[in-house]
Amino acid sequence: MSARGAHKRWRGPAWRGPAWRNPAWRGLALGLALGLALLLGGCEEGTAPEPSAGFAGLGESAEGFAQARPGTPLRFPEDHGAHPDHRIEWWYLTANLEDQAGEPLGLQWTLFRQALVPPAERPAPGPWVADQLWMAHLAVSRGETHRVAERFARSHAADPTHDGPGQAGAMAHPFRAWLDDWELVTRVDAPDADTFERLTLTAFDGEGEARFGYRLELTAEGPLVLHGEAGFSQKAADGQGSHYYSQPFWRVEGEVILDGETHAVTGRGWLDREWSSQLLGAEQAGWDWFSLHLDDGHRLMAFQLRGGGEAGGEYRSGTWISPEGEPRALAPGELALTPLATSGAADREVPTRWRLEVPAAGLDLVVEAPQAERWMDTTVPYWEGEVVARDHDSGDRLGVGYLEMTGY
Amino acid sequence: MPTALSTLLSHYRRHPGQLVMLLLGLWVASALWSSVQAINASARDSYARAEALFTTGLDRLERRDGQSLTREDFTALRRAGVPVSPMLEGELEAADGTRLTVIGIDPLTLPGDSAFATAGSLSSSPGELTGFLSPPWQTRVAPDTLAVLGVAPGDAAGSTPGLSAGRRLPPLSLSPSLPPDTLVMDIAAAAALLESGERISRLVAAPGALAEAPDGLVLTPATTLASPGQLTESFHLNLTALALLALVVGLFIVQAALGLALEQRLGMLRTLRALGVTGRALVGLLALELVILGLAGALAGIASGVWLAQALLPDVAATLGSLYGAGVGAELRLPWHYWLGGLAVTLGGLLLAGSGVLWRAARLSVLDLGQAQAWRAGFHRQLRLMAMAGGLAALVGLALWAWLARLPPGEGLLAGFGLVAALLLASALWLPPVLAAALAGLAHLARRRPLAQWALADLQLQLPRLSLAMMALLIALSANLGVGSMVGGFRLTFLDWLDQRLVADLYLRPPAERFDEVHAWLGEHPGVAERLATRRSEAILLAAEREGASRRLELPVGLYGITPGATLMPAWPLRETLAGRQAAWSAFAAGDAFINEQLATAEGLAPGDRLTLAGAGARGGARQTLTVVAVYPDYGNPRGEVLLATPRLAERFRAPPGSVGIVLAPGADADDLRNALAERFALGRDSLLDQREVKRVATGIFERTFTITRALNALTLGVAALALLASLLAQARERRRQLAPLWALGVPRARLGHLQLAQLGGAALATGLLAVPLGIAITWGLVAVINVAAFGWRLPLHVFPGEIALTLATAVAVALLAAALPVLRLWQAPPRTLLAEETPS
Repeated sequence: MSARGAHKRWRGPAWRGPAWRNPAWRGLALGLALGLALLLGGCEEGTAPEPSAGFAGLGESAEGFAQARPGTPLRFPEDHGAHPDHRIEWWYLTANLEDQAGEPLGLQWTLFRQALVPPAERPAPGPWVADQLWMAHLAVSRGETHRVAERFARSHAADPTHDGPGQAGAMAHPFRAWLDDWELVTRVDAPDADTFERLTLTAFDGEGEARFGYRLELTAEGPLVLHGEAGFSQKAADGQGSHYYSQPFWRVEGEVILDGETHAVTGRGWLDREWSSQLLGAEQAGWDWFSLHLDDGHRLMAFQLRGGGEAGGEYRSGTWISPEGEPRALAPGELALTPLATSGAADREVPTRWRLEVPAAGLDLVVEAPQAERWMDTTVPYWEGEVVARDHDSGDRLGVGYLEMTGY
Repeated sequence: MPTALSTLLSHYRRHPGQLVMLLLGLWVASALWSSVQAINASARDSYARAEALFTTGLDRLERRDGQSLTREDFTALRRAGVPVSPMLEGELEAADGTRLTVIGIDPLTLPGDSAFATAGSLSSSPGELTGFLSPPWQTRVAPDTLAVLGVAPGDAAGSTPGLSAGRRLPPLSLSPSLPPDTLVMDIAAAAALLESGERISRLVAAPGALAEAPDGLVLTPATTLASPGQLTESFHLNLTALALLALVVGLFIVQAALGLALEQRLGMLRTLRALGVTGRALVGLLALELVILGLAGALAGIASGVWLAQALLPDVAATLGSLYGAGVGAELRLPWHYWLGGLAVTLGGLLLAGSGVLWRAARLSVLDLGQAQAWRAGFHRQLRLMAMAGGLAALVGLALWAWLARLPPGEGLLAGFGLVAALLLASALWLPPVLAAALAGLAHLARRRPLAQWALADLQLQLPRLSLAMMALLIALSANLGVGSMVGGFRLTFLDWLDQRLVADLYLRPPAERFDEVHAWLGEHPGVAERLATRRSEAILLAAEREGASRRLELPVGLYGITPGATLMPAWPLRETLAGRQAAWSAFAAGDAFINEQLATAEGLAPGDRLTLAGAGARGGARQTLTVVAVYPDYGNPRGEVLLATPRLAERFRAPPGSVGIVLAPGADADDLRNALAERFALGRDSLLDQREVKRVATGIFERTFTITRALNALTLGVAALALLASLLAQARERRRQLAPLWALGVPRARLGHLQLAQLGGAALATGLLAVPLGIAITWGLVAVINVAAFGWRLPLHVFPGEIALTLATAVAVALLAAALPVLRLWQAPPRTLLAEETPS
């Protein structure tokens, strides 16, 4: 199964990037499609959707939507905001933190957007009329504790983009992405500066003892990283793909509330931005996605689509990022991912111990989730949790990161 | 064996009257029973659907000043982290004029575990959400609303029926779990349809999600919104009890007919036994006969029961709608167990009624040929047994009564019904022994009048067969009297109470923001003698304290503010006071509280108690302690209520302004005031209500409430009359044989006819006279026990002599009618036939 070492060539800029990395995207599509079906359809609450059925929804035609194409240069700050003509989009943040006692703590905050209809069919604006759906996920984990919340909202593409009437939205400059009182917003006042460099993330859920969430300050300590071909990340042989860039160099400080306790935390965060119109094929059963902060300053993004590769095998891809933020796209053959052991999480068996090999970067890692119970029990469930990376041979700890697994 | 069965059944070929009677009894009993069950099942289904909808399971937020909330309010609250969801509710008229409730929701923020899940659709494809949220949107509708929309069920999905104003609905999508006449759609679609712009009706939140209402808003917890199922339970219990009564009366007919059919077949049974059919086989055959008859009767009964239910349901639906605001579909929706249940109850009843017959058939002696009337011989023993069983029933009744007396008031609804049932049963069982004793006594008195003595003795001889019919008559008469008196008493009390409550000539409901202005203007208008401002709010009754001992209650109650003035105080009825009316009103004006009878009964509160209340307002935690100085009757209100003087309610609970009652000065004209108001404040004529109009509406609601009770009551009496008629017709032929010797002795036929009429009329009169005290006792049980338990208020016991006379007359008329036909036959029979030896059947 592993293609380790088979292709050591540098694929260059034409290489196909990790287009479809995110289960949460499926979360959105599924969450919105299936979740609503759940709500509307009178299914029993908490019924887990069949993954395969869920994925089928992602294969829907993208006709009429703006297509992600190679050669489209990314423009900042505009691309930090929403792209309502594309069907799907997300702002996806994960962070590996430590509290004062050195206890590790993980968190996730994601804002998803989905266009309901192509731009040409967009309904005329009117009271409550919407063509954009928004979904946000909030998760905090510490030891065996894993708390999750989700929210939904609607908007119209023609709604004013400044922080005005909307329940949810994302604007590029000054940067702000929000749903209800959950928001990722710039801390930079100077109107001409890059407002994406310093952000504040606030998200809390629940009341009283059950309240959990965080208020964090994010400071970029490196440049934005464009994946694939200058930010176009191809995901299929026919040229379909997505626009994909990351900010993997966040320094994170702030406080996390969990189980009635407030923790002062510091650590590292990773923000992904991706937008596209073409969803996955029905044959893809799910995917596994890694983002690693190595202690030597390197970052690694790697994923595999199970069933997305040639002849029905895994389709793998990734980016090896230098401490200075120089990306090197990894071709499918330059990357090997092997599940070593599974654990039970929410009545499912998920691989929580992996071997990750990138010979081109001299990496042979064992990536393991210290806690298996990181199931996201959201409308569309998936697994998302903190991992520790160790050297395969020596067992030395090399870094931390996040792992996301869908379709289990 | 088939030969034996056909021999047994051949009896009915020779006596089709008996077959008709049997089937009639079964049919009537099972029809009434199944119609009521059908109504109950349908109504419960409607409640379940209504409760599953949003309004009952969610907390509600509205603006304190009564203005509309807008989308901006919603967004601002969400952005502040308050988990609310918008809801838009409005009414539209279907093309046929039916009012349809349109509910616009935002499925994205509606609490996920709210019952919206059950508002579900038939399909749940992934495109579902997009279809629901995007133009042309979707209309979720229950199949039983399709008729109103003029759509055939087959073409429903996707069709866009038109509405009255030329508008069209978004494409339909079926959701069987929605309440009738309710359209659920995305809030954007509803806003477009209702042309409501950015306005919304209210905000909702998951129960308990908000600790307190945001500023400027009023929070109504879901628990305060009483569920129609609870409120209407007693109504359905009443219906069920009446239906059970009908079933019992019907089974009396069946029992009588079966006894007769067996008695006449005794000879045939002995012959069959002598021919070698075993006793066990014979009982089996008779049982089979019962089942065949039972199935035929039950099926016919259920079919007509459903028909009857369909005829009554619109009334029931109207009643429940106006009384409790519970939407009930006017179309029957019957679950499968309804059909099985109806069949089982009828068959079970039939087997119970037929068990005596089977038992006697099993003990049949082959050699006992001489005693053709074997049954009658044991009648004395039977009378003793009946008296004993009646005594037992009476003891059960006494025990229930003793238990009820020890229960706190307002509890023991089932025990109350049990008490009434025991009373009925005891009386019915005692009736034959009492009649027998009375006849014996009368016969003793009539020693010197041979014909009268003969008539009495003859009646005593008829008693075994008549007794069942008379028992049925007694039950029907007394129940009729009881229910009639209760309804009549309620009506009088209710109308009185309406008069006392509605003392103002006009009622004005000004817009909340102009309330003060309008109120002040009214105060200066020369045509206005007094202004009676009211306010309403909600609160949680936290605790009640009596003589230092405090009890926790945590009970949602309504708060109602009235203006204690010269007009209102003398008219407002008070049930109990702490220190007299005068003192109560002065204390009330100073800030003490009255509570309604429902609250007093349900929680065992009395004047002198101190209540701790938490207002449901923005300062939700603010507690207020009030002293109860009086209890007032509050008919028709399903909820507990605390009454305060309007200014006190406004300042202590921040209740929003409500309506103003206007007492006109003598000679002032209502229309002048109306015009002046319209001119000064541009208030539409609708915002001013005439007192007479209010009374008319209230009375209309009340009258409809008891339409069903009255209809069922009349039907029950009809069944009893049928029972009596059937029993008498069945023995008409035999009677002839007994009358023949008298005729031969020279008594003219006219005299014989009169004698018979007198016999039955007398028996019915006696039964009717017994039914009077029994009926009054039942009335007492209904108003003092069942009503208190079911609704929380006690009614004064009213006795209506006219109604009693009517009941007695009915009893006698029914008996005379039943006797008239045999008498007529006797009259027309050639004397020769009277002498002819009757061939044994």
